[in-house]
Amino acid sequence: MSTATGTRPPAAGDELVVHHQAAEPLLSTRRRLAGAAGLVVAGLVCILVFGLDANPGDASFQVALAGFGPKIPNVQLPGRPACFVLGALVIVLALLHAARGFSRRSMRWVIATAIACFAVSFLCWAATGTPGNPFTLLGLLQTTIAASSVPLVLGALGGIMCERSGVINVAIEGQLLVGAFMGAMVATMANNVAGTLAAAAAGGVLGALLAVFAVKYAVNQVVLGVVLNVLALGLTNFGYNALLQQNSSGLNNPAVLNPIKVPGLSQIPILGPVLFDQNWLVYLTYALIVAVHVWLFRTRWGLRTRAVGEHPRAADTVGINVARMRYRNVIIGGMIAGIGGAYLTIGYAGAFSGNISSGKGFIALAAVIFGRWSPLGAVGAALLFAFADGLQILLPIAGTPTNIPSAFWSMLPYVATVFAVAGLVGKVQAPAADGEPYVKS
Amino acid sequence: MSIVPVPGPLARTSATVAGVAALALALAACGSKPGGGGGGSSSSSASSSSSSAAAGGATSSSSSAAAGGGFTACMVLDTGGIDDHSFNQTSWAGMTAARQQNPKISISYVPSQSANDYTPNLNAEVSKGCSTTVAVGGLMADAVKAVAKKNPSKHFAEVDAPSSGPNVYGMQFNTAQGAFLGGYLAAAYSKSGKVATWGGLAIPPVTIYMDGFWEGVQYYNKKNGKHVQVLGWNEKNQKGGSFSQSFTDKNKGKQISQTFVQQGADVLFPVAGGAGEGALSAAQAFGGKVVVMWVDTDGCVSEASYCKYILTSVTKNLSGAVQQYVTQAASGAFPTGNYLGTLANRGTGLASFHDFAGKVPQSLQSQLRQVGLGIATGKIKITSPNQPK
Repeated sequence: MSTATGTRPPAAGDELVVHHQAAEPLLSTRRRLAGAAGLVVAGLVCILVFGLDANPGDASFQVALAGFGPKIPNVQLPGRPACFVLGALVIVLALLHAARGFSRRSMRWVIATAIACFAVSFLCWAATGTPGNPFTLLGLLQTTIAASSVPLVLGALGGIMCERSGVINVAIEGQLLVGAFMGAMVATMANNVAGTLAAAAAGGVLGALLAVFAVKYAVNQVVLGVVLNVLALGLTNFGYNALLQQNSSGLNNPAVLNPIKVPGLSQIPILGPVLFDQNWLVYLTYALIVAVHVWLFRTRWGLRTRAVGEHPRAADTVGINVARMRYRNVIIGGMIAGIGGAYLTIGYAGAFSGNISSGKGFIALAAVIFGRWSPLGAVGAALLFAFADGLQILLPIAGTPTNIPSAFWSMLPYVATVFAVAGLVGKVQAPAADGEPYVKS
Repeated sequence: MSIVPVPGPLARTSATVAGVAALALALAACGSKPGGGGGGSSSSSASSSSSSAAAGGATSSSSSAAAGGGFTACMVLDTGGIDDHSFNQTSWAGMTAARQQNPKISISYVPSQSANDYTPNLNAEVSKGCSTTVAVGGLMADAVKAVAKKNPSKHFAEVDAPSSGPNVYGMQFNTAQGAFLGGYLAAAYSKSGKVATWGGLAIPPVTIYMDGFWEGVQYYNKKNGKHVQVLGWNEKNQKGGSFSQSFTDKNKGKQISQTFVQQGADVLFPVAGGAGEGALSAAQAFGGKVVVMWVDTDGCVSEASYCKYILTSVTKNLSGAVQQYVTQAASGAFPTGNYLGTLANRGTGLASFHDFAGKVPQSLQSQLRQVGLGIATGKIKITSPNQPK
């Protein structure tokens, strides 16, 4: 623009038209063939393992909850043929890829399609395990949302708030834990709203500790996060032994939130009962997902936060107070994670017990990274993990065509996450100044 | 810090890190050992004076301590903790009962935060001069064996494992017998024709319950020509089954329970200590359409707030066995060998029906008595491979 000011404005006749054409780089031959080989293997697994092992007969998926709303018939797929067709589709994609190569951009869709085909044929295989017994797909989705995803999502959102401003948050686990503790205790003494606020406050206090040591004293943030997790575990165990166990009816007996049906929305088939027949902490989670996304990418504060996380010196030179931005973001992030902790007790299981978070904070941290530090990506990663976790519980109960030891299923969430991430996400880029203390010189 | 004079913030930094770390570690230690023996909801009678007396009794040998009139019985708990509403709590109740019977016995406990604490805890109890150390939980068997071997003059007792030496008293329970009755009852009570069981970990003290439950359902089907299905466990497939992989993760327990209900089960039998509370929470969420059969203790006592969802409990008389052992040991005669709790000696069985007394018909109650008699007399053979020999 500035260069144009000196020259004369272009006349109508000699207007220069430039056509931009994005040159999509093709993948190198070696990578192309490796990718194709991977897809062929996946397709063969669908056909040879799932297809051949599936019991003859239909795979039926239950898409309505028993006794809920309009009666929806089960979805029936012919088990074996479905596996064969889906596997063949994956192999066709692989051959196309080997022959002419998809561009990097369309490759993402190819892989997503292949994973979807693989997952559906896996489910078809599993669902033929006990003929006449439908696979409770809707129930699985509902427990995915209700049981495991909320703490992961909120923990991940809290982590993103921190890390986008340049502070690594390994202490999500500790924030969940103190949130769960305070949530259960205050909810028992007062009510669930107070419990949630107390949980947010507790998570915020832990976030403030993280901020003080990370920003003011420039402590190594990974070590600090680990220490804060130990601190949270010690504090809550001590409080649990010294307070909650002594008077469990007066201090550790919160009422679990009841699901509230959203009028109208909860009548939508399949999605309605899954998404809109939950308790209000789940709805708060939806709101926070939107809020964090908008806040990060559409507001001045969000822009400044990202600037502080990418290049604090540049941000400082234009007058942004780096330390203050980091303090605020880390504390708010801690509060969001604290609410996630409250869900563990008052939102789902009720009373607090020692180490109730049991590693969920670390999985939330993984979701932050797998989601490329973006709120929606992290939500996707958290949902994927939660779904695999629910599947891992359902499969041994529902029965698969071949009996597989239950210990094997316990690995499923982790295996699924690793594969999906390796296939879909690829190389990730952290905020440039993530973990770098900013010392004014 | 003191070696190199680092200017300003760095020196402060390392000092604060050290401070926070020390604080965190101190608190963590606090969490794992609450004053040696003071805490615990059911243990308020175990005054701190008794535990400090035990600590002060220091190095004198157990026999001389017994001769001096003070008998110190110490307990090493498993990871569930003193208020797990399950085997730890009940075992400790046996200690308090023994103390009530004979006030000269002083008692104390230490909880274990993880399996790594077993051996240090046992060693600490030995060096504290405990007259006897009662270890709770079959997972501790190896640690007890090793520590007992190193201290042949000390006495040990272990819950849920066989005697592993001349100075170790084993207390075991054939809970398959009680669970068999539970399975029979569940099958008869179920309206959906599906009942479910899940465990904490796939270890014999857990799976024996699940075996018994499964067999009870099969026996009911055979006797009555019904087809009640057991979800979550099949005795013929010991590698399968549903497990929360934890005795404390209530969230997981609730998730598993909900999944069972979605599969159509209406009687749940969680064998998972504190994680089993998830099943009670699920029963509450389903508004009582689902009932739970509690395990180890009478759930209406240990989980009183959930009593209206508890059909009954399959009990394991841990407290009775521990009390008997400690009382006998305090009288100077340490029992040796093994104790085996059965239906016949009331080591296992069904608790009362409490809120469900009116919903379990008399005919079913008398059938249960018949089945119990059949098991006790050996007419009904239990085939669980997990039964104590």
